[in-house]
Amino acid sequence: MTTQSPPGFHLVLDYLRAKRPDLPVIDPELDLIENRILDSLGFIDFLYLLEESTGTEITLDSVSAEDFRTLNRIKARFFGA
Amino acid sequence: MTTTDPTPAGGLLVGGTRFEEVLGRLVGMSERDYYNPYRLFVWPDALDEDGWWMTPELMVEHGTAAGAELTEEQLRRLSKWESINFYSLNVHGIRELLTEIVARIHTDAFRVPSEYFHHIIGEENEHMWFFATFCHRYGGKVYPQRSFGFGTPAIPEADNFLVFARLLIFEELVDVFNQRMGDDERLHPTIRQVNKVHHQDESRHIAFGRQIVEILHADLRARLSVAQLGELETYLKRYLRQSVDVLVDPAVYRDAGLPDPYGLRRRVLADPAYPAYVRRVLRRSTSFLVNAGILGDDRIVP
Repeated sequence: MTTQSPPGFHLVLDYLRAKRPDLPVIDPELDLIENRILDSLGFIDFLYLLEESTGTEITLDSVSAEDFRTLNRIKARFFGA
Repeated sequence: MTTTDPTPAGGLLVGGTRFEEVLGRLVGMSERDYYNPYRLFVWPDALDEDGWWMTPELMVEHGTAAGAELTEEQLRRLSKWESINFYSLNVHGIRELLTEIVARIHTDAFRVPSEYFHHIIGEENEHMWFFATFCHRYGGKVYPQRSFGFGTPAIPEADNFLVFARLLIFEELVDVFNQRMGDDERLHPTIRQVNKVHHQDESRHIAFGRQIVEILHADLRARLSVAQLGELETYLKRYLRQSVDVLVDPAVYRDAGLPDPYGLRRRVLADPAYPAYVRRVLRRSTSFLVNAGILGDDRIVP
């Protein structure tokens, strides 16, 4: 089964791949926080990228760290896919 | 937040030490200089929208190509929202500080500084009140927090050290702005007053922070491996840089009516002048951290 990535999601993939060029692919269920692909210090850049990709301002009052834990969760939470 | 940190801070922070002498002096100064912030400030209904709200040389765009493209009118309008963001960051930083101090006060490990913790908690609560009041009164909002606390070094022995190091870096950076803006005649008297009052209190908190950070790090040097100490240094350098990067905020550009706010943020961060700005506003922090042997050098890279 092939799945079409939602518009703008490739920017998220490119950003995360650049953070870990040693990984040939990032499994959609890989724990991005546990594996230190996302951490608190790089998070704000990622947040702004996500906002720009989705066209929506993200307030942290309405999300939790769990929403950022895997590619699948990011896709579901912020791209409605 | 960690309350079960294995750092034997209690054993470090006792016994007729210089630390206790400093604490006694700081408690005395806090008692002597106590003031009522709820009566101290003069809050006009409005501040001049066309004036400078922030020292222009301290704005993150200063010296960048993107900054040079803005008219003085645009820069003044930007200075308003940049200052609201700066005070908002203060509010969120103080929230973290209070959470961490409250988690430690009157625990065995922090028995000695607990008396002074009462003063810090009281003073910081009041600082948060006047910063938030400024934001709501003149900006109509406090900008939301944009950071999550995950992914700190997995070195449990360093938890206390990292908490106090982060708080110190935050306070030192803020104080660079407060000290300058408290005396900048281009700014409205209320803006000067907020900055000046905060600077007066923070000099005590910074003196405390430097003491405890040095003590906790000296203990870690005896207990951690070179690789672990290196991991802490890398983390702190990234934290330092991040502390400045959060001043460059697309929401600020949007509120100032500037186009392409995300692109503008990228341009400012990538500008050749920006690293010099970062060095300048962090110089006090990096000098202390290098002199205390916590950082090997003062190079702060993205």
